[in-house]
Amino acid sequence: MTVTTYSSTPLPRRRKSAAHWVLRALGVLILVLVIWRVYTVGMAENYPASFWISQALNGLVLGGVYALVALGYTLVYGILLMINFAHGEVVMIGGFAGFFALQFFTAIGWLEGSAALVAFALLLIVGAGMLASVLTGVTLERVAYRPLRGAPRLVPLISAIGASLFLQYSVLLIFGVSPRVYQKPALIAGGFRVGDVFVPYTGVIIFATSLLLMLALYLIVQRSKLGKAMRAVAEDKGTAALMGIDVNQVIVFTFILGSALAGAAGVMLGFHNTIVKFNSGFILGLKAFTAAVLGGIGNIPGAMMGALLLGLIEAIGPSALGIPTEYKDIISFSVLVLILIFRPSGLLGEVLSEKKA
Amino acid sequence: MLTRSIQRGLRIGAISFGILTYLILVGLPTRIGDAAMPVLAVAMALLFWISLRGGVSKQDVSARAPAPLFTAGTMAGLFAGALTATLIAFFTGLLADGVRLQPIFDKIVPQNMAALYGVMPGVIATEGIPALGWLRQTLFLTASGIVGALLVLIERSIRQRSFPRIPWLRWVPLILPFVLLAFVIWLGMPGVTFGGNNRGTIRLLATMVTIGSGIFALRAARPGAEQRVFGLLFFLAIAYLPFTLDQFQNSVMGIVFIFVMIGLGLNIVVGFAGLLDLGYVAFFAIGAYVYAFLAAPFSSPWVTAQLQSLGLPYNQPLVSYWMAIPITMVAAGIGGVLLGIPVLRLRGDYLAIVTLGFGEIIRLFMLNLSDLTNGPRGLLNIAPPYLFGINFGSPREIFILALIGAGIVAFAAYRLDGSRLGRAWIAMREDEDVAQATGVNLVRTKLLAFAIGALFAGLAGQLYAARQVNIFPENFSLFVSIDALSLVIVGGMGSIPGVVIGALALKGLPEVLRGVDEYRIVTFAALLVLMMIVRPEGLVPSTRRRRELHEDAEPIAGVDAPSALEQLATAEPTATQKAGRQ
Repeated sequence: MTVTTYSSTPLPRRRKSAAHWVLRALGVLILVLVIWRVYTVGMAENYPASFWISQALNGLVLGGVYALVALGYTLVYGILLMINFAHGEVVMIGGFAGFFALQFFTAIGWLEGSAALVAFALLLIVGAGMLASVLTGVTLERVAYRPLRGAPRLVPLISAIGASLFLQYSVLLIFGVSPRVYQKPALIAGGFRVGDVFVPYTGVIIFATSLLLMLALYLIVQRSKLGKAMRAVAEDKGTAALMGIDVNQVIVFTFILGSALAGAAGVMLGFHNTIVKFNSGFILGLKAFTAAVLGGIGNIPGAMMGALLLGLIEAIGPSALGIPTEYKDIISFSVLVLILIFRPSGLLGEVLSEKKA
Repeated sequence: MLTRSIQRGLRIGAISFGILTYLILVGLPTRIGDAAMPVLAVAMALLFWISLRGGVSKQDVSARAPAPLFTAGTMAGLFAGALTATLIAFFTGLLADGVRLQPIFDKIVPQNMAALYGVMPGVIATEGIPALGWLRQTLFLTASGIVGALLVLIERSIRQRSFPRIPWLRWVPLILPFVLLAFVIWLGMPGVTFGGNNRGTIRLLATMVTIGSGIFALRAARPGAEQRVFGLLFFLAIAYLPFTLDQFQNSVMGIVFIFVMIGLGLNIVVGFAGLLDLGYVAFFAIGAYVYAFLAAPFSSPWVTAQLQSLGLPYNQPLVSYWMAIPITMVAAGIGGVLLGIPVLRLRGDYLAIVTLGFGEIIRLFMLNLSDLTNGPRGLLNIAPPYLFGINFGSPREIFILALIGAGIVAFAAYRLDGSRLGRAWIAMREDEDVAQATGVNLVRTKLLAFAIGALFAGLAGQLYAARQVNIFPENFSLFVSIDALSLVIVGGMGSIPGVVIGALALKGLPEVLRGVDEYRIVTFAALLVLMMIVRPEGLVPSTRRRRELHEDAEPIAGVDAPSALEQLATAEPTATQKAGRQ
């Protein structure tokens, strides 16, 4: 499965130095400490199995949403080698569009109708979120990133930071400060029980949708002609252009794909967290970017894996380590720092060649 | 040809319509008041001018023929005007029918729409759309389209003419800061009523322009005696500033110069050594919190308990401000090394995200370790610095301390830049592997960059804590890192005067813009993007950086070429002018 979007030019293995062994010993030590901590806490607290399972399910749902957002980061990074700092805002705008679509369908009464009608309306709501995000993403690329193609790497990053602030506060100005509250349609508000574990319908729908979207993305990137062009551009822009690929078009297409996933994630997150406001994309974007780096940025399966892992760690970590849930962000960032220290290019990432690092 | 210019006009018109819609949605017309439509039309005329002139080089502008310009301009204005007027009429119609749009668009209220028609808000609610309103708005924008085309023609005729050279113009930028300083002092005199209620803000702005233009003056002065004399005068002028400004202006300038210190520290890490650090706020926070523990031990439960168990007094500062300086700096430096060791192997964006994570971890610890840091309630009543028994905690003294601190840090950075270590940093920034091959010890060089950068941030953090008196974890959010990074980049990476300019632009200007508080961040963000597109090397680029970014590009009119003033001033015609005259 060669899904990587990089050129693969591994550097020659370096001679193992003393520092390397010290680092490795440190890693083992940390691992042992964590396992010991989890074991003692587990013995002391004695949570039932159903608690762990429902936490894990929660983590998977969150991880699915993170994965959709992380894919946006990773796709853009794979091609342009830039951190699209404003991607979290693209998600947030999708969430807003989804909210207005939801209001609309509630107003015309489709959400109290038959199951098929509700499902259709929900599809349209997600579609509205995706459309708004795609428009935002494409505009962003055109206005803030395209003029900077070929500039040193920090320049597009600052531009992205500016764009991120601009989008956040424009939404604040246009739509006001008050958070928008998603109301779930009655049909999907509940859940079902498997043994002791309560499974909400929204969780199932969100997870299934994210898996479907990820599969769709995988097929597009691997099987379609445009996907092939994307991989070619990621490999080498100049050569791809010589082969008759319209690089600009491919980059726009990448932004469309990433933003569409982000829009879907925004709407689903709206249903999951029930609120969306102007700055709700920021931390989410940070988390998703963490997930993308965790898996090895630029690498599509890596982003999915990293995101699911991050979701699980966030959901289970605090109770497993016996610390308050306020520390869950510390746990996820610590995991990121540790993984990067011991595997500097992420879990599935390859060793970067000097040009791209 | 005709269809092409019509198409061009329609495209420009569509973009302008998007921008106008945005301005209406964010509620700008309400702010402007009755004259909203004429003001918007003037703004749009400028936009039409920029987009109609197209291209960036002087030749492009000269090549524009009048007829297609007017076709395109008129079409653009007409199209944008018709669309905007229709949109306004649509919103107004809904409002007149009693539909409340505010739950969706916060700013679409009768006041906003009424401002666009130039009528009272009550008229909208009772009578609906004023007669001829649509036509009036469309005509306004069409006129601005034609004005835009005219402006291009005017620019063209100005550019085609050659001007006589006036040697004494060279002195204008050199004298400017001192004229401005005199203006600032005059504004502060009792009895001056210039500017009315905005006098304080105008004075603040003038102060910042004084400092900024002074830096440009130093660069414009001829090296040697002239530069030294102007440097001395400029130094005296700045040293006088704290004594003439009032409390508010001093406090703003204090925070600006604290950010100069932070920026200079980050400039070492990012600008000199090329290590993209997004968690720089961590060292700033370490500096502030360490000083807070030393100067206000009573507000931290854990420190109080420790002192009690040791039998030491805990309800007074442990050490004075001056004694605390080495302690905070060492603490921040250790933090820098501790961050540096694990990230030695990381490059580029991985480094960015790990440092970002580190910064967040520090903030979350501050927030949640309530025993030590008192959590979100913060550390309170931090002692101000005392010198010979005099309280140095008022905004004026803080500004003086910030000036001295920034001066010392700038001197250190300047000396480092030219040192062996500075050259090693630059070599490392350009290519790590080659630097290593030529004998640069990467581990030592990187750790020194992190440690020295952290030292400066720690110093700034301590002063910040003394200035704020009470510090809370939210003072040290990711936005401080982003601000610091932006100011380094806006000023020009690796450029020391650039940091001062960047801090003035990024921390000072928003304070001046307080009056338009709501639009502050949006304006700032848009400027940041625009700046990256138009002048990515920063306002005061270091020579090296400027050459990197414009390696073989021809000088671009209005972007990189010397300004009209500079052109007039130089005795020798520059290459651009020669090319332009041919």
